Amino acid sequence: MLVSYNWLQDFLKLNQDPKQLGEKITRTGVEVAEVKHPQEGLKKLVIGHIIDCTPIEGTHLNITHVDVGEDEPHQIVCGAPNVAAGENVVVALPGARIADNVKIKKGKLRGYESNGMICGLQEIGFADNLVPEKYTDGIYVFPEDAEIKPGQDAYEPLGMDDYIFDFDITPNRADTLSMEGSAYEVGAIVDEPVKVEDVTLKADGPDWTNDFDVQVDPKLAPKFYLRKVTGVKIADSPLWMQKRLWNAGIRPINNVVDVTNYIMLLTGQPMHTYDARAFKSGKLVVRQANKGEKLVLLNNKDVDLDPNDIVITDGNRVVMMAGVMGGLNSEIEDDTTDVILESAIFDPTLIRKAALRHANRTEASSRYEKGVNWDATMRALDMAALLLRNNAQGTVAEGVIKATDEPRKPVTIKTTASYINKVLGTTISGAEMLHIFDRLNFKAELDGDDLTVNVPARRWDIAIPADLVEEVGRLYGYDNIESTQPVLAETHGGYSKEETVLRRIKKVVQGQGLLEAISYSLTSPDKALAFTKDPKEVVAVQMPLNSSRSTLRQNLLTGLVDAASYNMARKQNQLALYEQGRVYDHEGGTYNEHEHLAALYSGNTYFANWQHEDEKIDFYYVKGQLTNLLLAIGIDLNEVEYKAEMVAGLHPTRTAGIYIKGKYVGLIGMIAHTVTMAEKSLNGAEIYGYELNLDEIIPMIIAPKTVSTPAPKFPAIERDLSILVKEDVTNQEIEDVIKANGGKYLRNLRVIDVYQGTHIDDDKKSLAYNLTFLNEKDTLTDEVVTKAMNAIMADLEDKLSAKIR
Amino acid sequence: MDLFDRLKELRDKGLAEIDKAENEEKLNDVRVKLVGRKGELTEILHSMKDVAPEHRREIGQRVNKLRDLFNDKLDDAKTEIVKALVEERLEKEKIDVTLPGRENHIGSEHPINIILDDLEKYFIGMGYQVVQGPEIETDHYCFEMMNLPKDHPARDMQATFYVDPEDLLRSQTSGDQARVLEKHDFSQGPLKMVGPGKVYRRDDDDATHSHQFMQMEGLVIDKNVTMGDLKGTLELLTKHIFGEDRETRLRPSYFPFTEPSVEMDVSCFNCNGKGCAICKYTGWIEVLGAGMVHPNVLENAGVDANVYGGFAFGVGLDRFAILKYGIDDIRDFYTNDVRFLEQFRKEER
Repeated sequence: MLVSYNWLQDFLKLNQDPKQLGEKITRTGVEVAEVKHPQEGLKKLVIGHIIDCTPIEGTHLNITHVDVGEDEPHQIVCGAPNVAAGENVVVALPGARIADNVKIKKGKLRGYESNGMICGLQEIGFADNLVPEKYTDGIYVFPEDAEIKPGQDAYEPLGMDDYIFDFDITPNRADTLSMEGSAYEVGAIVDEPVKVEDVTLKADGPDWTNDFDVQVDPKLAPKFYLRKVTGVKIADSPLWMQKRLWNAGIRPINNVVDVTNYIMLLTGQPMHTYDARAFKSGKLVVRQANKGEKLVLLNNKDVDLDPNDIVITDGNRVVMMAGVMGGLNSEIEDDTTDVILESAIFDPTLIRKAALRHANRTEASSRYEKGVNWDATMRALDMAALLLRNNAQGTVAEGVIKATDEPRKPVTIKTTASYINKVLGTTISGAEMLHIFDRLNFKAELDGDDLTVNVPARRWDIAIPADLVEEVGRLYGYDNIESTQPVLAETHGGYSKEETVLRRIKKVVQGQGLLEAISYSLTSPDKALAFTKDPKEVVAVQMPLNSSRSTLRQNLLTGLVDAASYNMARKQNQLALYEQGRVYDHEGGTYNEHEHLAALYSGNTYFANWQHEDEKIDFYYVKGQLTNLLLAIGIDLNEVEYKAEMVAGLHPTRTAGIYIKGKYVGLIGMIAHTVTMAEKSLNGAEIYGYELNLDEIIPMIIAPKTVSTPAPKFPAIERDLSILVKEDVTNQEIEDVIKANGGKYLRNLRVIDVYQGTHIDDDKKSLAYNLTFLNEKDTLTDEVVTKAMNAIMADLEDKLSAKIR
Repeated sequence: MDLFDRLKELRDKGLAEIDKAENEEKLNDVRVKLVGRKGELTEILHSMKDVAPEHRREIGQRVNKLRDLFNDKLDDAKTEIVKALVEERLEKEKIDVTLPGRENHIGSEHPINIILDDLEKYFIGMGYQVVQGPEIETDHYCFEMMNLPKDHPARDMQATFYVDPEDLLRSQTSGDQARVLEKHDFSQGPLKMVGPGKVYRRDDDDATHSHQFMQMEGLVIDKNVTMGDLKGTLELLTKHIFGEDRETRLRPSYFPFTEPSVEMDVSCFNCNGKGCAICKYTGWIEVLGAGMVHPNVLENAGVDANVYGGFAFGVGLDRFAILKYGIDDIRDFYTNDVRFLEQFRKEER
């Protein structure tokens, strides 16, 4: 809502600096996004009277002589199609500043001297959509009723001397979507009494109410009032009204349509005028649309009506989408003489949905959906009729048709001054509160501590004591409330156990040099299930923004691969990223969310360096990092097992499922060539990653505190073991045999060499292990270790046909 | 030749040999030859039996003196040789310390999580519990429990992704409030919580809109919590994030789940309130929404609104990060360009 400072003065006395007033309104009532002063930045714009106007042959230009209040008229060359002698216009004198800080200088056009410029409204800062249609392609010409004289500043006659507050209202404060409502609000804020004019209308035409049959469903329109005005003459509105309209952001159209807009701005009550010819049937019916009905709106939009839309019909034909926009078939036209005026209240939800459904929100619909003042229906109708008589020489027919007239119970709220103070943390006296309600024009009574407040219908946002707390609080001034800290019984803040562990995991991963990424949870249906061992039923959103953001991810790696693609497209090929976040599924009829952790690596372990020690990242590097992570967070590595597995999106022979105590907890592998080669920016890069389900892992590590043990006092004994096996024997199989036979002192087992190639048979490979034995309580003897080694070797030969080397 | 002469000769010869020995091995040979168990000095001692008794004492003294001399010289020579060896090694080991080291990746937290961690720690220090709720939330908790019945116009302010008629991707973390309020046992003390997390709205992504972002919800409920407490809490919070010298203002606002509702602005840190492009020439920047919890929200969760009350606030973490770090495109948070992410590793947290 654009609220004019000048117009506000119709209702109350204001002598504040407009900008300071704007700040005060923001702090107390409604956010004022901007205080605009249209003449700001403009200079030397005056009224001019065109004395004569002669075309320059062979051009579209005219030479004019314009009286600008100086001794001599100015010669000005003007190219506007609508320039003519006798017009009163806006002249930018030499040295003037017009819109966009353009300077006007004396000059010559086609050899003719031109001392200034005759302006169109856009050229002095008007928005295109506010300029009256007939002046959009030319200069602005003042109407004859304008009280102006040549040489005076052009700002006041055009309303540009005004200050305009841009009220950025919240949905509960739709009461300020009118000048009267804004006046009440501003009056309360500055503590000035507000005067709202009533209207007395004496009809001057015959009664019409018996000639018109109106049927309205009160559920659709609890109030539906009509008047008839005959014999109107369509013309421009008087300038005073036009400038109020354009300062409020509404384009003046004609003296009938402008009246309805003006009354809506004034009272907040949306009004509509129909050409009476639309109701030749003598009938008006308000109902919900039938399937298949169509309407062409005033903005030429063809609409297929929905059975939930409220429509106005002539008993048969739809002539308006109620509360939203009229139809072309009942539009006020230049030859319109008789009009029917409507002032009504429609169901807010139905109006909101209709406007949304047809993407056709209007000034009217936005007021209806937020609520309008039930006390203004009649007054608005009478004021509109009166203005039609004044501005369009209409005759107001006797009688009002009130097709529906549902009463609304006035709101009375009982509360206490102490309750209000308790919530605010203040010590405002009862009398002071009464004064605040008086400023708001609420009738209030105080009986001891008890407050009874009668809320006027124009403040339909107020219904419960908490609403009164807000009114008192904001008008008392939030700035005046003392800042305190809650004084409460002690509470212990903190994270849940699970989240504490989760944070520790993130710290370790970060310590390993990974940058944290955050990706979108919504992805494409394909990506949602990539890199996922056992895809579950997906969660998809209704009406997605686009297909690549339609489905909730079941894995995090997909987001990291997207990040890799984004980075590699920008030549960032050294990547070490991780993400910690949730994955989502709809398994078993419930929506499930699991905390995951994923890491992605590509490039080299070290950045390129002069020593050329920049080993390429491979599966085993990433596995080593993962092993370190598991160790650091307290997983017993003896319980971790890797099994070669095939997972969509991952390399078929370089991927393993990770199991802890036999339970699947995640996977590690290389991103498949089918993925990296299909995407241009990835260009077949070697990318490795892992993903863990932290919901499985966290409970495994949440339990024990570390109980410190002293460092071993007895020396360990190390042995190396080199064996030759068939190439398809896995390290896991060998380790299983070694561990099964190593005895209780075998502490550690490490692969120290893997060899395949010349010197050994093609189908064989050689592996070497380092075994560490330790007895923490005694010196370990060679015999014990040798015995264990012999057992290991025998079993390796036996089970895996290994050759000990 | 008498023993005296032999000693003198041995002295000269010995010193010359020590001098000549160029490495540890040779020096050791010389040591064995001169002062070893079967060395020349020992031999001289052995020949004492042939010496007149009156000279024995003097010979003995001279032998000891010469042994001391040899030992000293041998030690000195050894020191010299070792020193030379070390010097030779040092020469070989000389490196250019100005050449660069081998660098690898440095880990860092995402900027939004840096802000989040900081805020969580701040609130934990003040006794708030950190609470997590589901991102796939029910309409019931996300809206209805929060005083937003179906068809409430304020639902249009938050275009929501539904996954079915009753379930949705939460468009606000407020649902956590309702869940915690239902569970909290007020006989065990006041309720103080913050609930951070991802939220989703049907906004097309552009420089200032994101269909996914992060919020943090705060809630304090007890018998005597006031709007003054809310004001004090928010002022401390904004100063913690944006600096001690920031001014703040509260403005009336509207949220269905609070009454009164306010928004807090801080004085623009770019222009200090004078007006600039960042604050859209108002001098103020909106940073959060808050209010006193609406009685309906308390009653919906089974809390007696006549006895208990308090405040709630919600902050946009993306917005905090944007303001704090001067980021001009919200999409930067989610494209994960490493050059963007790396710059936050020096941030305090």
